[in-house]
Amino acid sequence: MKFFENVFTYDYSFPAVSLAYFLRYPNPYSRHVLTTDVIDRYVDPKTKRLHTIRLHLKKSKVPAGILKLLPKGMGGSDNSGQSYILETTVVDPKEGWMESESRNMEWTGILSVVEKQVYQRQPIEGALESLEGLALDEKRGEQTTVKTTVTFRSRFGQGKLLGRKKVDPIGDHNGEAEEDAPKRGFFSSLSTAGIQRTIELIGVKRTRDAVLKSKQGMNVVLERLRSGGIVGVLEGMRQDREAAFGPEGPWKRVWARGHAHLEDDD
Amino acid sequence: MSASIAPECNDIKDKYDTCFLKWYSEKYLRGNTTSNDCDELFSKYKTCLNRVLKEKGIDSMLEDARKGNHENDTEHLRRS
Repeated sequence: MKFFENVFTYDYSFPAVSLAYFLRYPNPYSRHVLTTDVIDRYVDPKTKRLHTIRLHLKKSKVPAGILKLLPKGMGGSDNSGQSYILETTVVDPKEGWMESESRNMEWTGILSVVEKQVYQRQPIEGALESLEGLALDEKRGEQTTVKTTVTFRSRFGQGKLLGRKKVDPIGDHNGEAEEDAPKRGFFSSLSTAGIQRTIELIGVKRTRDAVLKSKQGMNVVLERLRSGGIVGVLEGMRQDREAAFGPEGPWKRVWARGHAHLEDDD
Repeated sequence: MSASIAPECNDIKDKYDTCFLKWYSEKYLRGNTTSNDCDELFSKYKTCLNRVLKEKGIDSMLEDARKGNHENDTEHLRRS
């Protein structure tokens, strides 16, 4: 198992950040996000917290480094280049926090990636004093920090994925030389644990980029929100969407798969 | 607004999303947590979406993923 951690502070109030979170697709940094749907949403009658479950469809290829570790036909057979992400969010506006969790829904045996984010309202120290002499500047009164933790876990070679029976933990004293590891070809030269570690590290590497991109995207949406309100965000979105997919939207691409050649922008 | 995975649901999703954003920013975030302005639109959107998710076989995958999430959800809610 591997972890990635990052803490970042937005110079925007908590309400703005939480609104931007729900509004963040599309943005100029999210061209890989094809669709977003709300699966479930409700306010908990006791806590008054807002719960949201969303399904995102994203363009994503199995990294070449992982692909070559897989037996022939696996990973390559479903080369749709798309993957489903399930996102769960809980917002507490009174306490000023929001938690989200996103996870991949397929190929979890090869690599399960779970991203957790905690957004927290941060009143700026000294903000009260500054109000006395200075004009009240709303946007300076509050910041919002977000702590991101991503967990990578590969269960590659542990039976589930390859349809082999589970390793009996009691009978397994072999350390890295697990008998469950595939025996043919170059697999014999790699231990299961070694393959898992390799896969997890490839995931970590990709995530650094993705986390940066997602911050940039949030900042674009927040800036639009500040200068033009929700209308400003929606107008920006409309332009992003046309730039990314043409005026007819992304579904043409989603549904055209198999019939048309899909361009790749990475 | 972001597009739906189901093209035929885009119109109703757009209406629902717009309603939600208005409710969220003007009411919910300002402490009015009881209103349910968008329930009707959400239920129409869900009806449309669920039909497509079922057709594409995504519904069962979703159910599995949400079950798998359960432990994490209770952990989510534990915080005070």
